[in-house]
Amino acid sequence: MNKLRIHKYLGLIIFVVPFLLLQSACTSTTVDEFRQGATGITTDESVVILGRRQGSEYETREEFVDCVGDRVSSGQDAVTVIPEREFVDAMFPWFEPRTAPMGVSNLERLMADNLVSEQMEKFGIRYMVWLDGFTETSGRTGSISCTAGPGGAGCFGFGSWEDDSSFNARVWDVKSRQNVGTINTDASGQSYLPALVIPIPLIARVEANACSRLGDQLKAFVKGG
Amino acid sequence: MKRNIFCQYTKQLLGGCLIFFVQSCGTSSIVIEGQYPSPNVTKIPLSIGVIYPQELIDFNYVEYSEIGEEEYRVQSGQSHRDLFDALLPSMFERVVVLDSIESAVSQEVDIVFLPAIEEFQLALPSKTKLDVFEVWVKYNLRISDSEGEGIADWILTSYGKTPTRTMRSVENSINQAAVVALRDFASSFTLGFSQVPEIRQWLSQR
Repeated sequence: MNKLRIHKYLGLIIFVVPFLLLQSACTSTTVDEFRQGATGITTDESVVILGRRQGSEYETREEFVDCVGDRVSSGQDAVTVIPEREFVDAMFPWFEPRTAPMGVSNLERLMADNLVSEQMEKFGIRYMVWLDGFTETSGRTGSISCTAGPGGAGCFGFGSWEDDSSFNARVWDVKSRQNVGTINTDASGQSYLPALVIPIPLIARVEANACSRLGDQLKAFVKGG
Repeated sequence: MKRNIFCQYTKQLLGGCLIFFVQSCGTSSIVIEGQYPSPNVTKIPLSIGVIYPQELIDFNYVEYSEIGEEEYRVQSGQSHRDLFDALLPSMFERVVVLDSIESAVSQEVDIVFLPAIEEFQLALPSKTKLDVFEVWVKYNLRISDSEGEGIADWILTSYGKTPTRTMRSVENSINQAAVVALRDFASSFTLGFSQVPEIRQWLSQR
């Protein structure tokens, strides 16, 4: 009888877990590109990717900006990316949340300052990319409870939630002082956390997928593709 | 025998946990530490003397819990010193630290700068129910000539925030939000100094 029960649970785990794993790996991502001008970049030019942080309700996470930067600067047809922190510190105080240019007209005025344009020249910046967005978690359901006693410990229950990422990347051509395009990325996915003695996290990598898709699209965009 | 060993380990573990929780109930002290870059601005052709009041150096902010117990103690004096040490030499041709206004004439400075913190506010996610740590600082800034005659006296506020992050301690987050607020002050001060009406007028009359 006990053997039958063990086989029953094993069977459940063998079929249910992969099914849930498959579900959690499914993140739906859409990318829209709106091109407003021609692009192209030489090997001695670079791109800087910055996060918008003017809003009081949210700010574009540094980790997401770094992720997109890593994606653009790696792999085939890699583009040189100046790290955000290095650029903002070198250009201080012109790219702080309070002082950063909000539009290309502000960039035009900024570049009129000799010190600013000299620094830009030193970095060899051709394109400035502004990332704006965040990931929201919603639809939390279920509960998990854990207990511990002399005989052992364990968790039982089930939890799930949905993550929605929405980011847009505005690309400014520093040479022509023009906004050359916008790339919008929306990603969503459902995560699960069943607990059968031990919790088994089945996390939808929503933001990671948004980063990789946006990074690839951005790389192709600045290259002129 | 096994039962005795088990009881012994359980008592040690519980004792350790008790010590940990008692210690963590005390006040957390945070000394603000950050790196402040020098601004990329054209220098103002002035020699400035700066007086750091003791209240600024010893500035302490205490955050109380809902039952009136000290929760966090934030010390920002040295960080403000570091900030002004990075800021002022890039803004002015010459910077001298003064002990008092009386030494301004002997040091041959054109103006004397006296910064002071009027107010410091901290917002914690545990109280606001938002996913962000926030710091506001209100400064009173005074500029006088070398003889102590007032030129300008104005208020400048700064704001800094940092989102909550897993694996980052509350102390680390408060430090990060405070550093962002200090950088915000630095950028506003650097770009707004010559635009203060009284200072602009004084500069035009030189």
